[in-house]
Amino acid sequence: MTKYLLTRLRQSLITLLLVSVVVFAGIRALPGDPALALAGEERSPEALAAIREAYGLDDNIVVQYARFIGHALTGDLGTSSRTGLPVADAIGQALPVTLELAALSLLLAVVLGIGAGVVAAVRRGKPEEWIANVIALIGLSIPTFWLGIVLVLGFAIAVPVFAASGYVPFGTDPVDNLRRMVLPAIVLGSGLAAVVMRQTRAAMLDSLSADYVRTARAKGLSKRSVVGGHALRNSLVTVVTVLGLQLGHLISGAVVTEQIFVLPGFGKLTIDAVFTRDYATLQAVVLCTSAAYILINLLVDVVYSVIDPRIRLGGAR
Amino acid sequence: MAVALVSLTSGCASLQSSATEVGGVRKTDDRSVRDGGTLTVALNSDPDKLDPTLAQTLVGRTVFAGMCEKLYDIDEDGVVVPQLAAALPVTSADGRTVTLKVRHGLKFSDGTRLGAAAVVTSLLRHRDLPGSARGTELAPVTSIEATGPDTVRMRLKQPYVPLTGVLADRAGMVMSPAALKKYGKNFTNHPSCVGPFRFVERVGGDRIVLKKDPNYYDADKVHLDGVVYKPIPDGNVRLANLRSGDLQVGDQMGPVDVQSALTEPKLQLFNSPSLGYQGIGLNVGNVKGLGQPPGKLDTPIARDVRVREAFELAIDRDTLNKVVFQGMYEPACGPISPQSAIAPGTKPEDCPKRDVAKARKLLKEAGVKTPLKIELKTSTTPEQGRVGQVLQAMVKEAGFDLSLRPTEYATMLSETDAGNYDVFTSGWSGRLDPDGNVSNFLKTAGAMNAYGLGDPGIDRLIAEGRTVADPARRTEIYDELTERVQDAHTMIYLYRQKNYVVATKDVAGIRVYGDGLVRVTTAGYTR
Repeated sequence: MTKYLLTRLRQSLITLLLVSVVVFAGIRALPGDPALALAGEERSPEALAAIREAYGLDDNIVVQYARFIGHALTGDLGTSSRTGLPVADAIGQALPVTLELAALSLLLAVVLGIGAGVVAAVRRGKPEEWIANVIALIGLSIPTFWLGIVLVLGFAIAVPVFAASGYVPFGTDPVDNLRRMVLPAIVLGSGLAAVVMRQTRAAMLDSLSADYVRTARAKGLSKRSVVGGHALRNSLVTVVTVLGLQLGHLISGAVVTEQIFVLPGFGKLTIDAVFTRDYATLQAVVLCTSAAYILINLLVDVVYSVIDPRIRLGGAR
Repeated sequence: MAVALVSLTSGCASLQSSATEVGGVRKTDDRSVRDGGTLTVALNSDPDKLDPTLAQTLVGRTVFAGMCEKLYDIDEDGVVVPQLAAALPVTSADGRTVTLKVRHGLKFSDGTRLGAAAVVTSLLRHRDLPGSARGTELAPVTSIEATGPDTVRMRLKQPYVPLTGVLADRAGMVMSPAALKKYGKNFTNHPSCVGPFRFVERVGGDRIVLKKDPNYYDADKVHLDGVVYKPIPDGNVRLANLRSGDLQVGDQMGPVDVQSALTEPKLQLFNSPSLGYQGIGLNVGNVKGLGQPPGKLDTPIARDVRVREAFELAIDRDTLNKVVFQGMYEPACGPISPQSAIAPGTKPEDCPKRDVAKARKLLKEAGVKTPLKIELKTSTTPEQGRVGQVLQAMVKEAGFDLSLRPTEYATMLSETDAGNYDVFTSGWSGRLDPDGNVSNFLKTAGAMNAYGLGDPGIDRLIAEGRTVADPARRTEIYDELTERVQDAHTMIYLYRQKNYVVATKDVAGIRVYGDGLVRVTTAGYTR
């Protein structure tokens, strides 16, 4: 197990390094001069030259990369060219927002998705399956922006149960925090819940028709034990894979949701950085998101090996 | 059906009742307010650096209006009035020495005193700091010195009339020398000026928090405990938050959102005409990039002024305004707003009218093969997209085949500055002094002359406008300049935006002037 973990860890670090190169080069391949984006309306040649010098934009790209990696290794992610604030601070402020949003959405998706998936599989051919399928289809098809605006109109303006926007840290005021986070979590989690529901249903249908379930039933185990202990546990490998992949989407894909609900998270930070060609912020954000993806993949692999020991043995051989 | 009808008619009714507000101008609300409370103001983007020397954005100016006063300000009518200065500046007979008095006994938010020395420190920093966005504006100033505790003397290379207007903007903001010394480059994270509110914190992309400053000389007039500025780029989202009460003020609202806000009894509208302009720039000689002398460009629009004139004659400014902006902006045909207190420009009704027959005739005379293919670069906003589509339809009738290329803002700047375009949408938020709206754009090789325009006559008028102090003569100069620019058909001015600010009705005392800034000094919640 340790050897397996070490191998995976090493692979992850190499991936991260490669990602940093791609991100660095990719951002600089974007059209649009960051000095111009920064200078905006009033751009004199002197001001542009000073901006380029201040942020080392005139240097060779290899020099710029080496400087970036050197600083990043010491934990210095640079200074935002737009606001002049340290990028690490911006990330430190944005990360909890996005993580909370992702966690709440995930919770919603897991509870609703797995629950509905199990019901749909167990009650195959019954109205419950049909209802679950229709709801999942709607969840998958509704555009995030539309759902967000409709929820705000319904539950923040017409019936003001929740807030339309903004973020209050959970530690400062838990009730206000949830009042602001519920709608975004629904918006972000609904699509994932639908995906999870469909995966759970399909995997459960497979498991329920498998020999070991027939055996368990024949041995006279309770329905609850057969569904929960045998069929569901075996179905979870697929579901965990999907969740792992989707969690990455939750962290990086919160862009639209964060825009609608004005949540100062990663998505909003990324969008602002792209439009202002804020290289320092953009590369730090993309790199952190990539690291999160890689970490999640690693965790998914570890969880696999716990759920299904055959995977671990295969990897260690 | 009945429900739909009722809601439709009630919507129309409230639209009509507020329609007078849309047509007219409303800059202030003088209802009495109570003390206390925090105001949340939505901006349409996140401000850049909160350092008056380095700041570039219009939204940043709105935040400064809450915490950094200037030597001069403008009043409701756009007239320059003293703010931190005790009186208007005194200019010597030769126009090359300007003396100004600073108000006595004022304190910065960090508690230190404002005096002539602080003004000198700030002005020198604005002029000399590498990367300063104020450098060009203060370039004609050769020396700045304190000649007494409250007296500052500036010497100029040549007479420079726009100086007072410049000092009524960020170049006139005075920063605490103690804070500058303490924080240096990091002043942007700890700005300290004289103002009704002082800086508390900034969370990038989320909020800028200010609270009432007890050191402010007019603290009695300040009713709010604090102000929070929140960047919310999407107009729909801003409106939803105004409706839900999470926000009290929405800055720079688009016409569509304003129309929609007017159906809401809880909301009120402020508006003032802006000093800026929006239009399209035609590439007539930008072959080497910005700041370089114009070169020869072999396109029909660059070669022949008749083609450009035909293009302009094919455009109907009124229809554009009606179709894209519900008639809520103002048609324009010159760089200087008719609202300008100094040398007012052309009125909308005096703009040239559409004449398709003449446009066709001109194209024929110029000998171009129609339809003439031209590409228009626009930014990616829905509004600019609609402007492009309306223009496309209009000029088609005259024989132009206009294709649209929506281009993301930073990319568009790079490409148009480099001269890589036919026509692009070009706009400016406007400055108080007419010089700020013409010199950088229209002067040969000017810092923002992306059109490649090079006209010695225009250059001469720009230079004269900067040096002649007599207001009547200045008006003549800028009228002549406008005429020349119109004849060149290189920058085609189309409309002027209006500053639309939507606020909840329980807020009074905010002020929206022609410079587009929301002033919150006297704002508060109604009793």
